[in-house]
Amino acid sequence: MKTRRDFLRSTVLGASATWTVPMFIERTFGQLHEGARDLATQPTTGKDDTIMVVLQLAGGNDGLNTLVPYADDIYHRSRPHIAKKEKDLIKLSDHVGLNSAMPFLGSLFKEGDLGIVQGVGYPNPNRSHFVSTSIWETADPTNHSPTGWLGRYFDNACPGADPTVGISFNKTQPEAFGALKNPGVCLNSPELYRWIHGGGEKAQAEEFFADLNQPDDEDEPADGGSIAMPGGGKTGGIAGEGNLAFLERVAMDARVSSKTILDLASKHKTRVRYDGTPLARNLNLVARMIAGGMPTRVYYVSHGGFDTHNQQLNSHDRLLGQLDSALKSFFTDLKEQGNDKRVVLMTFSEFGRRVSENASAGTDHGKASCLFLAGPGIKGGLHGTHPSLTDLSEGDIKHTTDFRQVYGTLLTDWLKAPRMKPILGADYAKMGIIG
Amino acid sequence: MLQKADHSWTIFEAAHLLNRAGFGGGPSEIKTFHALGREKAVDSLLTPLEALDSFPVLPWTNAERVQADRRNYTEQRNVMHEAMRELTPPDAQEMKRQFVKKFQKENRLRSLQAQEWWFKRMLTTQAPLREKMTLFWHDHFATSSQKVKQPVLMVRQNELFRRCAFGSFRDLTQAILLDPAMSLYLDAQGSKKEMPNENFPRELMELFTLGEGHYTEQDIREAARAFTGYQLSAIKGQVTFRPRQWDSSDKTIFGKTAPFTGKEVVDLIFTQKQAARLMAQKLWEFFVTENPAATIVESLTTSLQQHDFQVGPLLREIFLSKEFYAENSIRSQIKAPVQFLLTLLKQLEITDPPAGFAITAGHQLGQVLFAPPNVAGWDWGQAWINTNTLLTRYNLAGFLTNGAGNIRQKLTKEQRKNPAMDRILDEKNQVWTGPNYEEIAPRALRENPTELVDLLIFRFFQAPVTPKARKAFIEYAKSKKGVIFTNKEIAELCHLMLSTPYYQLT
Repeated sequence: MKTRRDFLRSTVLGASATWTVPMFIERTFGQLHEGARDLATQPTTGKDDTIMVVLQLAGGNDGLNTLVPYADDIYHRSRPHIAKKEKDLIKLSDHVGLNSAMPFLGSLFKEGDLGIVQGVGYPNPNRSHFVSTSIWETADPTNHSPTGWLGRYFDNACPGADPTVGISFNKTQPEAFGALKNPGVCLNSPELYRWIHGGGEKAQAEEFFADLNQPDDEDEPADGGSIAMPGGGKTGGIAGEGNLAFLERVAMDARVSSKTILDLASKHKTRVRYDGTPLARNLNLVARMIAGGMPTRVYYVSHGGFDTHNQQLNSHDRLLGQLDSALKSFFTDLKEQGNDKRVVLMTFSEFGRRVSENASAGTDHGKASCLFLAGPGIKGGLHGTHPSLTDLSEGDIKHTTDFRQVYGTLLTDWLKAPRMKPILGADYAKMGIIG
Repeated sequence: MLQKADHSWTIFEAAHLLNRAGFGGGPSEIKTFHALGREKAVDSLLTPLEALDSFPVLPWTNAERVQADRRNYTEQRNVMHEAMRELTPPDAQEMKRQFVKKFQKENRLRSLQAQEWWFKRMLTTQAPLREKMTLFWHDHFATSSQKVKQPVLMVRQNELFRRCAFGSFRDLTQAILLDPAMSLYLDAQGSKKEMPNENFPRELMELFTLGEGHYTEQDIREAARAFTGYQLSAIKGQVTFRPRQWDSSDKTIFGKTAPFTGKEVVDLIFTQKQAARLMAQKLWEFFVTENPAATIVESLTTSLQQHDFQVGPLLREIFLSKEFYAENSIRSQIKAPVQFLLTLLKQLEITDPPAGFAITAGHQLGQVLFAPPNVAGWDWGQAWINTNTLLTRYNLAGFLTNGAGNIRQKLTKEQRKNPAMDRILDEKNQVWTGPNYEEIAPRALRENPTELVDLLIFRFFQAPVTPKARKAFIEYAKSKKGVIFTNKEIAELCHLMLSTPYYQLT
């Protein structure tokens, strides 16, 4: 059994040219298990494989003002100040229409490249941002899982241990990346994603640096798994890892991924214009990574501000408009690259919002909501059934689709995981959302 | 009561206390602190001589100036509304937009000034525990200027936290109910009896006092009605209770029925032992280690109840406990970004970092003062570290030590477009010459690389490092020695020592 560290070491060895003559590395790596070198040549993740982009709408997106059930009187009665009028919508059916802040998604829908799953949620919903986000990220409604659903995909379905199998463009590593073996990497600005050190004997400094930024051999666990110390889990790290072991592992991942990412990101220049929003900027980076041929299977980006308790009409429309514009640039870019058919994007939000507006012309935390699936690989149209506005649970719509059905379908039908159960804990009914 | 530590203590233990209860310090500061002895050192932290008002205030937080600013704003807005009547709707909209933009711009600038002001205060204060508790309360009662948008209210809240740093958790919670910034942040100010807003009561129970699983959805809905009628006056900048907006009917909370007000609900919450338990555990995790043993939490919970929720005596008990100085506690905590930056500056004896450094660095490392990511505050511990933030920490150390050479020259033209990095490297900072290495590494000691490295190890780690790391530092120092050990080589050695996983621990 090859450990993850063995693998990373051999990758570093294999790519030692990028970290200069491995005098110190050689010394420290002297007792390397002989077979570890073989793994260096093993393909980790195909670079022509399918890719999924997960886009978090943080704060609880108001699904009812995103995909509007305009034909339902109860909708208008429940929201005297903030209801969207029929004439202001992009009509998708006799019952629902899309918020007009999203013209690009409207056109994508008409082309059959946008799927909207209606009434997505889970049993016994929780109205806390933190608990519900955690439930979506771990795919565990009891909120006990120390690993995330994407981390379990990396562990179970992605051979090798390349840390760039998953990349999140967040300040913090998402809980969804929490893993037992390989939690992916996190980065913000590729240009600065490297150790910048003093001049002079450049090579030498890097050797010392490399030596200091790798785990000690002595404390290597038997199977590359967890060290018996509590902590972690919630943060997208490796479950049960002690603080120093954790730091050493992250340092190693940073070194291994830094050079590749830097090279690839500088290779691709786009002609497509992106907005200056953090979301657009991050999707631009994702597009550059894809163009550069990263072996990454999952990218994770966030768009925040959806906790619209107060005067939500303008702010909510503005957020959806920023989303629409960023997605327009992103998919145009991918099309120009010729990579659009490889990429599927899924949005999610921790919950929807109450059917009735509150006294501040906003909406309070709710339960089920809708989510978007975009890309040529998606079967366009409305999926699932729109929840009833009269059959409510504590003033909220009830979910008609379990989010794990969406996850399960994407994992198996799009990301080609052989089985759903090791990742999601059970087999969920698949949906016809791919193809 | 937790078991007490012995009277005598080592200099490593003194450094540990100063690191955790404050923001660390240079070798001479640690030596002075150690000489006080354990009890006196803890006393000096809890009863600081530095007066609350000994730090210069930001000019725009002066009470008269605030009043004048508010009057000015109202007048200008009235003038604008008058003028808008004469305009076509699009022109009127544009005028309004310009008006809003102008004040937003000013508030953004003030928000940055506030960050810099507090950071500087933490860096230079003689009352480090008070500042650390101010940071603790800021994280606990998390409020963000991104939503509040009135920097003066954020500074007022900051002053409240500093005043109540060692005081009663219950009294502070009552004060938070009437805090203007919090009232805006959790939409408490618009909550009326016709349609109560659940945001404040939910976070009050879930995050501030009891924790998930210690209340029901029903409790929140009922409490929401009690928290109606707390209105924020824009002119006075105060929250007042307006009985006419308040829902005066009966509410049933935790099985008790009465026509509760918000204040009474807070008192009701504090009759639950769980409120003491949540705070006791959180303080221990903030200052000592994550996931404390149940016996420790139980003991601290009892102490907090006995002291009627006063946190000062509890902190004293923690900092004098044997457990606090246990081997698995020392150098086991991952430094938060603010802690990383402050200890780094203090260890390098820098009291006046380049303008904007703290703001930009905090932003890149994921901790912007006055702007926690959400009402749960920051995620601490391992959440601070990922591949990106770790490399950024190394590079920030490279910049501060000057060990990375001229970072600006190393970046290509396109890379410099990154606005965050550019602020660090702006023209003003180009002249950043680094720390005073003549003081940090006296010439006389540079002849012996081993002694030099050991000296720097105490400065940066205040504890022995692994033999492997020490050996690597010494070999590097030897390889650098050459003819003469100049400040450039010292800077590069320091930078290497700081570019390690181990340095991220405190």
